[in-house]
Amino acid sequence: MIEMEHVSKHFGTVHAVNELTLRVPAGELFCFLGPNGAGKTTTIKLLCGLLKPTEGTIRIGGLDIRTHGVEARAITGYIPDFPFMYDRLTAAEFYEFTGDLHRVPRETVAREMEESFTLLGLMEYRHTLVRDLSHGLRQRLIYGVTMLHKPRVIFVDEPFIGLDPFSIRMIKDLLREQARSGVTVFLTTHILALIEDLAARIGIIVNGRLVAAGSMDELRAGRDIKGDRLEDIFFSLAR
Amino acid sequence: MRNIWTLLRKDMRVARNVRRLLREQSLFKVVFILLFAGGLLLGLWAMFVEGFQFLDSLGGVGLMLIGRLFSLFFFGLGIMLVLSSIVTAYTSAIGSDETTYLMLQPLTFGEITVYKLLQAAFYASWAFFFAIIPFVSAYAKHEQLPPSFALWTLFYAVPLVLLCAGVGVIVCLAVARWFPQSRALRTAFLLAALAAVVWFMASYARSVRGQSETTIILSRLVPGLHLASHPLWPTWWVAEGILCVTRHEWGRGLMLWLVLVTTTGLVGMFAEWMGSAIFYDTWQRVRASGTRTIRRRTLLGFVEPWLRWIPPDIRALILKDVRTFLRDPAQWSQSLIFFGLLGLYFLNLRNLRYHMMPPEWRNLIAFLNIFSVSSVLCSFGSRFVFPQLSLEGHGFWIIGLAPTTMRRVLVAKFFVALAGMSVVSLTLMHLSTAMLQVDWVMRSVALGIAVSVSITISGLSTGLGAIFIDLRQQNPSAIISGFGGTLNLVLSLAYMFLAIVPFAMAFHMRATGHIGASNMGGAIVLAGGWLALLTLALSVLPLILGARSLARREY
Repeated sequence: MIEMEHVSKHFGTVHAVNELTLRVPAGELFCFLGPNGAGKTTTIKLLCGLLKPTEGTIRIGGLDIRTHGVEARAITGYIPDFPFMYDRLTAAEFYEFTGDLHRVPRETVAREMEESFTLLGLMEYRHTLVRDLSHGLRQRLIYGVTMLHKPRVIFVDEPFIGLDPFSIRMIKDLLREQARSGVTVFLTTHILALIEDLAARIGIIVNGRLVAAGSMDELRAGRDIKGDRLEDIFFSLAR
Repeated sequence: MRNIWTLLRKDMRVARNVRRLLREQSLFKVVFILLFAGGLLLGLWAMFVEGFQFLDSLGGVGLMLIGRLFSLFFFGLGIMLVLSSIVTAYTSAIGSDETTYLMLQPLTFGEITVYKLLQAAFYASWAFFFAIIPFVSAYAKHEQLPPSFALWTLFYAVPLVLLCAGVGVIVCLAVARWFPQSRALRTAFLLAALAAVVWFMASYARSVRGQSETTIILSRLVPGLHLASHPLWPTWWVAEGILCVTRHEWGRGLMLWLVLVTTTGLVGMFAEWMGSAIFYDTWQRVRASGTRTIRRRTLLGFVEPWLRWIPPDIRALILKDVRTFLRDPAQWSQSLIFFGLLGLYFLNLRNLRYHMMPPEWRNLIAFLNIFSVSSVLCSFGSRFVFPQLSLEGHGFWIIGLAPTTMRRVLVAKFFVALAGMSVVSLTLMHLSTAMLQVDWVMRSVALGIAVSVSITISGLSTGLGAIFIDLRQQNPSAIISGFGGTLNLVLSLAYMFLAIVPFAMAFHMRATGHIGASNMGGAIVLAGGWLALLTLALSVLPLILGARSLARREY
């Protein structure tokens, strides 16, 4: 579903991403891990088409994002750590607007909104302006909005920042559910315990290079790592 | 097209919600804004009516001027519209987070460009319509035209606004995409642009010299008249089209309108094509270049050792504020536009031969200049000084926990604002009075008012900014448009009138012979005393109240 071939991104003399080759199949929950400044967000932005790779090709669902950008964006959803939202629309209006952009029929939008808002605990806030929602409610809303057009790939950048345990649990369940239904989830976070809990496979990026990718067992295999936890693997590989 | 309609429908919903929010705003603010806008429209209308009557009183030349003034008026507005569209397009199309969001949606870059063009047209057209309503209604009154004239004006003005926004977006994209990044190339480019402007002005002057005597006289009376009347300018089509329709020359009026609409369509199509071709690369160049800014020792670094006499905590705050201001292009570029335009105008006072007018007229112009400098200072205070404490935002705890008092923080903020405002206002006032060659009394009054206004606006804006501090708000326009910001603007403008009018009255009464030369000194001393009292009250009091309010706060 996600294919990156020899992708590099240079900002002047800084090589933010270097020769990255990666494949994530449909329905996989893939976590991207790395120290600050390792190139995680740059990689996600490259995958979404916000950044243009200096070298290499990226395909989402078989579509080259450079030549079929609109089609690729129609099957993807991106949730940044601090997403842009129209503050002066109500939660329901923002939901409907996104539905219109993705050409989702109005009846479907109404039905999905009912379901999604109930699931995310947003029903009582549907007519509240986005600017008046708390950080947690805004995050929940952006998840609902992103899922509306049934994307086949979801990119999530640091999804758990500033959220309470209830919201974290809700989002974890939501992402698991999406992966179970065949959606590819590409996630970055620094919370190692959550990655251990969620991820089917983990990619570790250091200084723009993918140093390892695989399940916990695969990451451990053939390496002399003391300890069983992801923390031990990460420190051993990222050092 | 469907996507653009979806985006516009979203904007309409936002507008509806904003209207609802306005109803929840304080009545004081809404009434003030309405009164201010109404007063401005009425004032402009009265000025235009007076102007038309004055031209009428000149006889033949005046009547000829009225006919051509229409094209000059729209020409001037058209240029302003293009310039403001360039700025608006840059901030809304390239600089805004909304664009990043739209780029993640299934929209083409051409659609995003067209949407941003429409947004630029909307945002940039406020001032345009504000200016044409009084001008056109004054013209309609002068010519005794029916009310349908307003409809015809709108009919022509809307495509012109879209056309100018289209040109603005095209220029913005081209400059952002291809403007050289290296300093040498950038300098060469700017020099070439300057040379092109000089060449254009020289060839324009030559072309005027080759015209009939009437044209030469009219061009001398009103510079730019010949240029604005060129039949290839869309603004001329608008002016001529409106006049044609007014004269019931329907065929020619329709032809000009169609030329305007088709050109607007063509520009729109070109903008869309350009957006499809270069929008992505332009955005990448500006927003995703990922360059790390390294600041070596700047001018401020060299000045720093000379500021050792200032206590270290106040010095640190002053340097931080100055650095923040200089490193934020939005702040210094707006200030440059605020004061740069006035500076350019003052520099051209002699080209307009104002210095050769009788002393009473020169004094009148000097007072108008004092008003314009003071009103720009009021806007500057409201825009930059008032929100500066609130904009400390989440970082305010650094100041809150520092071993210094809030009174000293406020003093530092006050002196930074005062230093900046004094330098600019004194320079402008000196320039204005020198260009007008007014006597030393007028010059002293102008410079004295400049210093007083600088002190008051700095004190008032800093003090009220502390009283109405809002550390959660990161958007300066939201801080400015709140109750405190509105109060600050109202008090600043009220002070400006109360401070300047007594001096203006004294000079006016002297010019009209109501007071003699012997009483003039006394009148000025009286006005000066009033100014000193007002300045003291409106600068010191807000600072004291602001310091107390800050000291009571919890962080």
